[in-house]
Amino acid sequence: MTSTVLKPSSHPLSAYIDILESGKALLPESTENVVEVVGVLKSYAIVLDAYSRNLNYIAEEQFLVLFPFFKYFNGEVTAPKLMRYLWHDRINFEYAEYCMRTMLWHGGGGLDSYVDSPEFSSLAEKAIAAKLKGNFLMQGLHKAFPEFLPEQVRMLAYYTGLGQFWRIMSDLFIDLSDRYEAGTIKSIAEIVDFVLAGLVSAAALPITYSVKIRGEVYDILPASANLTFLPDVAVPYVEAVFFRGTAFFGTVSYNAQAHQIPEEQKEFSYGALFADPLPIGGAGIPPTQLMQDMRHFLPDYLHEVYRTSCRGEDDLRVQICQSFQKSMFCVTTATIFGLAPHPMNTSDPEEKKANRAYLEGWMDRFGTSRLDWANQPTIRACQLFPER
Amino acid sequence: MLSALIWIPMFAAALIGFWPSAVSSKIVRNFAIAIASVTFILSVIVAAQFDASTSQLQFSEFIPWIDDLGFNYNLGVDGLSLPLVILNTLLTGVAIYATDEAIRRPRLYYSLMLLITGGVTGAFLSQNLLLFFLFFEVELIPLYLLIAIWGGERRGYAATKFLIYTAFSGIVLLATFLGVVWVSGASSFDMVGAAGESHLQGGSPLPLVRQIVLLAGILLAFGIKIPLVPFHTWLPDAHVEASTPVSVLLAGVLLKLGTYGMLRFGLGLFPDAWAVAAPWLASWAVVSVLYGASCAIAQKDMKKIVAYSSIAHMGYILLASAAATPISMMGTVLQMVSHGLISGLLFLSVGIVYKKSGSRNIDVLKGLFNPDRGLPVIGSLMIVGVMASAGIPGLSGFIAEFLIFRGSLPVFPVQTLLCMIGTGLTSIYFLIMVNRAFFGRLSDLVVNLPQVRWGDRIPSLVLAVIIAVMGVQPAVLVALSEKTAIGLVSAVPPQVQQLAQNLE
Repeated sequence: MTSTVLKPSSHPLSAYIDILESGKALLPESTENVVEVVGVLKSYAIVLDAYSRNLNYIAEEQFLVLFPFFKYFNGEVTAPKLMRYLWHDRINFEYAEYCMRTMLWHGGGGLDSYVDSPEFSSLAEKAIAAKLKGNFLMQGLHKAFPEFLPEQVRMLAYYTGLGQFWRIMSDLFIDLSDRYEAGTIKSIAEIVDFVLAGLVSAAALPITYSVKIRGEVYDILPASANLTFLPDVAVPYVEAVFFRGTAFFGTVSYNAQAHQIPEEQKEFSYGALFADPLPIGGAGIPPTQLMQDMRHFLPDYLHEVYRTSCRGEDDLRVQICQSFQKSMFCVTTATIFGLAPHPMNTSDPEEKKANRAYLEGWMDRFGTSRLDWANQPTIRACQLFPER
Repeated sequence: MLSALIWIPMFAAALIGFWPSAVSSKIVRNFAIAIASVTFILSVIVAAQFDASTSQLQFSEFIPWIDDLGFNYNLGVDGLSLPLVILNTLLTGVAIYATDEAIRRPRLYYSLMLLITGGVTGAFLSQNLLLFFLFFEVELIPLYLLIAIWGGERRGYAATKFLIYTAFSGIVLLATFLGVVWVSGASSFDMVGAAGESHLQGGSPLPLVRQIVLLAGILLAFGIKIPLVPFHTWLPDAHVEASTPVSVLLAGVLLKLGTYGMLRFGLGLFPDAWAVAAPWLASWAVVSVLYGASCAIAQKDMKKIVAYSSIAHMGYILLASAAATPISMMGTVLQMVSHGLISGLLFLSVGIVYKKSGSRNIDVLKGLFNPDRGLPVIGSLMIVGVMASAGIPGLSGFIAEFLIFRGSLPVFPVQTLLCMIGTGLTSIYFLIMVNRAFFGRLSDLVVNLPQVRWGDRIPSLVLAVIIAVMGVQPAVLVALSEKTAIGLVSAVPPQVQQLAQNLE
């Protein structure tokens, strides 16, 4: 029997394939990276908690409310809260909706195909009919534009899909932070293992959605649709938010007419793994909203790292975004391992070969990503332009 | 009262200079700021008590000094000098505040700064030719030292060039002043005698030829100081090498000594000759404006762009002075104040850009508007300055330039229209500068620029606020200077207009 040793890959990113094949993460092992990843995931978890509560609230309580003025209030509309909201002392729930719409637009997974199925249509029609009971104006409009309200219900299905996904991720990241603080997690590899274990254990959790209209419960995503956490929500989420994203104004202005935006959705690469952290801080762009939310919940040990950098708290949001990007490479590593056809430490040459092909498929997509940047040490010292 | 404005900073300068070196630089700095604040408040008090309804000199002080020479301590203030005195005390405070706290040799530095303030105020207030000359020279040496000690790499060259040009200007000025008294046979160098009547103009006016010769001396002396093309080459070098606060004072106040002197002693003493020279002066202004603006377009160094823009903007003042209509004279006063504030703001902002980014080269700088890692506030303030300089309505530059063009157009239509092209060029070079330095993505070479603190921003912010307020509420300054401006013009015979028409 000849021992077939797999030849080194000729892929341009073969270095990272080697790293993944040896079971290591796409983020290098270092103390500072651990601090950054765990710290930023902790604040992310707190923000995700708020996001997921709100997304689920909107899906359940604001079902087909045509003018949802107070949809970010979670049902608690009081004058002081309204004042804080207008003063902008609040969580930017717009970011959650941005992610939800990105998922809806890029689609993929079982949720996407289910909301286009006749079964979903009939369920949605039932709920719409119940909601519009006695409202003749809306019934007329629904007759005139029969696709409008079902599309809203599809969007609400994505509200709850993302809400339920983030609910689990939030708890997972909080657990991760607790384990780090207890001293049982000390390395990037352990973080990846922990996230992977969390994803695997949640993989088969069902995703369902039903609304209560006038005391009666209407299923929108019934248990019989067999939608589950990993293939139907988590993977489409990674695809839509980590990789594809949508073009938005940062310092680069994209012009669709000038073909600066790809024609095909599948060629989009504006996701979290590709984003340039430098324009963060610009008003209204989605990553700024997330970083602005996260800066309120930074753990002290991470805050201290940022504070001792060159600009201190001046560029906090950019620094958070850089750490966030690093952490997302960890989560991506866990996802890659989780979806791999065979374990990375397999000794079967055929399985190794299959893994190689699988990893090369991933690496094809990392071409213009910030992977190289994430593998370099973050510079926190002051620099000046070269003189003249 | 006026003496206090001069001697408080002078004595403070002496006091700081002789302090033991054990005194910490922070105390020296705070003391200098306190003195600058006191003189600023005093100048505002003078303005509050100033009677704007007359063109006569006010707060006059007269002490006979060397009577045989006709050299007396003779001070007074009118609507022309008062705004400049306030500008001087304000910008001195701003410049001292904007000084790096860790500056080398602080006692010498702050005492020189205060010495300049006292000297410049003295020059603005002097009503005796020799006294003016004395104060005019007093700011020369401190400024030379400020450039030569705290300047950039080629500070020796720049400081010496400045010294040679300005000293030559001083010699010409002294010769002209001596000539004035000698030719007119006046008994003293006082512009206005103790009794109130003019000694120099008291008798019959000088013959026209003599007036023209003396006016030529005045124009040469102050043409170097303003500076007008072709005597301008010392200015960009001096600005580039001078530190930020010194540039602020140089552009904001010291150049105004030139325009002030030209108005006070050129137009004021030789109105007949002025009327003859006016068309040539207006054309000279056009050359200065267009040449300065064209040079600014070609520059790569932000400080040089601002310096050349100063040359262009001082040209407007020459145009308006040549036209010598009441409106254009109002324009000169407003333009002097407004240019002082705007160039101060621009130099301060460029100074912060240089300090925080390490370069002023617009080929190197990029993306400084980055909200978290760049200098967004300083960039915004710079854009306010740029807009004011280009004459965007709502800011002080618009009011000044509008009055200048409005006042000059009936007298010198061609020259005025050519100068208006200069304002268009202002937008061009400043937009190039702002676009290159501030827009786009911040360079990858420089991930972390040092932090900008509020202390860095406050001086620019103060000037920007004043520029905006003056842009919407210029009436305060107009009321202060109106009578004096009209008074100055009334001595000019109406042949300016005739001559201008003949030339066409």
